[in-house]
Amino acid sequence: MIDFINFYLIPGITLGSIYALGAVGVSMIFGILRFAHFAHGDLMTVGAYAALTAVWVLGIPALAAIPFAIIVTCLAALLADRLFYRPLRDLPTIYTVIASFGVALILRSIVQTVWGTDSQVYMTGFQKPTIFFDTFRIATRHIQIILATAALTVALHYFLSRTRLGKSMRAVADDPDLAAVAGLDTERIIRWTWIIGAALAAIAGVFVGLDTDVHTNLGWNLLLPMFAAALLGGIGKPLGAIAGGLIIGIAEEACTYPFFGDTLIAPSYKSAVAFVIMVLILIYRPQGLFRGRLM
Amino acid sequence: MKKSILAAAVAALIAASTGAALADDVKVGALMGITGPLANFIPPILNAAKLAEADVNAGGGILGGQNFVLVVADGQAAAQPSVDAASKLVNLENVAAIMGALSSGATIASANAVSIPNNVLQVSPTATSPAVTDIKDNDYLYRIVPSDNYQGQVLANIVLDEGLNKVAVAYVNNDYGVGIANTFKASFEEKGGTVTAFEKHEDKKNSYRGELATLASSGADALVVIAYAGGSGAKIVKQSLENGFFDRFIGTDGLRDDLLIEQVGPEALATSFFSSPTSPGENPAADALHKRFDETYGEGSDKPFVDQTYDATMLIALAIEKAGSTDREAIKAALREVANAPGEVVGPGEWEKAVKLIAAGKDINYEGAAGSHEFDDNGDVAGFIGKFIVDGDSYKQIAVFE
Repeated sequence: MIDFINFYLIPGITLGSIYALGAVGVSMIFGILRFAHFAHGDLMTVGAYAALTAVWVLGIPALAAIPFAIIVTCLAALLADRLFYRPLRDLPTIYTVIASFGVALILRSIVQTVWGTDSQVYMTGFQKPTIFFDTFRIATRHIQIILATAALTVALHYFLSRTRLGKSMRAVADDPDLAAVAGLDTERIIRWTWIIGAALAAIAGVFVGLDTDVHTNLGWNLLLPMFAAALLGGIGKPLGAIAGGLIIGIAEEACTYPFFGDTLIAPSYKSAVAFVIMVLILIYRPQGLFRGRLM
Repeated sequence: MKKSILAAAVAALIAASTGAALADDVKVGALMGITGPLANFIPPILNAAKLAEADVNAGGGILGGQNFVLVVADGQAAAQPSVDAASKLVNLENVAAIMGALSSGATIASANAVSIPNNVLQVSPTATSPAVTDIKDNDYLYRIVPSDNYQGQVLANIVLDEGLNKVAVAYVNNDYGVGIANTFKASFEEKGGTVTAFEKHEDKKNSYRGELATLASSGADALVVIAYAGGSGAKIVKQSLENGFFDRFIGTDGLRDDLLIEQVGPEALATSFFSSPTSPGENPAADALHKRFDETYGEGSDKPFVDQTYDATMLIALAIEKAGSTDREAIKAALREVANAPGEVVGPGEWEKAVKLIAAGKDINYEGAAGSHEFDDNGDVAGFIGKFIVDGDSYKQIAVFE
């Protein structure tokens, strides 16, 4: 049981936190702009590399470099919106979806050109985990990632339920026509959607780099579980996306635990868990756990 | 109006890209995993290929003074992107032959889908999987590293010599990992060792703690990691150390990457050791090549697969010269003639001499930096496996097995 917590549950929550932060952006963009943003993973990559530069140049720890990551990633997202998505806004969304594929490739190629294709780390060496009560072994960075995600979740909840901007966002996500008739400034809301989505993606990107390493396919590799998490939580429901991310992260790790003496699923198949969950939701509960919009 | 401007621009682009390849160029594709799990291996490997390209051109060019041009394509060290990249090389760039790919999976996929059906000679400098041997390739696929049937056996001996009788094996689920893991296991058990756990894993995940917990509970003395350092290998080593699962590692050529030392630190790897295809112990031709390599590129001649890549590029160039044209069929037929004995021996950097010998109608035998490259019926070569340990921020070879 201790093994389960140390080696399956905690890494699962960490992984889930990263999925969750990425999935919030996917879910909000899907809800408000009505398209699947395939470049979201690569926004994470941009964030991770922006932080890497700050770590190199200023010699600060990766967590302190997060503001730089956020600024660079938000600029990248706003620029992509201005150049590629806004001109396509009035066309059927499939155009924007395809454009976002293109943006994903552009972002990745820029990262490869600027930073090279090698994988990098924020810090050389390895940390021994902190041991609690002689039984729980938890890596410091996992504690940091999990606590930071919890704090961001609370902040996001407050923002969406208490502030005017947050309420407007939910209104647009729930019913865009009604929101427009009510006189909400859609472009401003879209701008803030990008800023929040990109900022959370940047943080998630830095967390991935902190947990393992920084490489140019970092975000792209996580795109599928992030979409699965957004669907599981319900499209346009940011808090649902967080729950979805955690569930998928934990499910992916926990499914390989030998609960009944033998491994439930061979570890080499754990990538399939997100797929299976996504397909099951699409068939049996397309609105997601938190009653999101149907696609 | 706008459309015609666009059309003109596209036409100009096409003209520019084809214009770069003049009629006097002989193009050979270099199918490399520039991005993806092998990215860290690439810079010195690419330099090795470029050095061979430069040697050919400096020595008077190919096919009577034409330019020898390498066209580099990124296969991401994965099957599908490599097929796309190879198909671009063959159909768009119209290359005479392909040097690559690097990983076994990428090589097998690109050969089966592109090179073999299009009758294009493909020479991989690095694909080590035993599965490459048995491909029905009509003699179009070659490699110049020994098969892992061989590396697996040598590794089993090295591990037993270290006094390790019980090991666990973590291997990546692709042609490379599955191939070498199975040959290692068979050989290790046959020689009296025990494989306590044998677990495959998927590349590119963030956490391998679950797999490692299972492997660690099997009571092994050390962990054999058969994976690319940039894909999953470095994470496995790091997470093992952090959680105290294992503190001694045995790696194959995929793990023997400076990236591993960079990520984990040299102290933690002090007791670990690695196997990798290598060059013969004493080889003046290789020493001269390394010296030139370091003069040209500053450093890197000691990195993995530099010799093999230079040799693969050189062999292709020699085969084209021998064939006397870019006819793909003739190039394929010429490869064995220039690579295998008998014939007058030529080595790295001796392009001009080789051209003269070919022009004089003499049979030549290329003896490269990485070995003598005598292709057998399957397009495989015998070779050398080195044992490496960590030394500072790179690796040091401490023994060679033939």
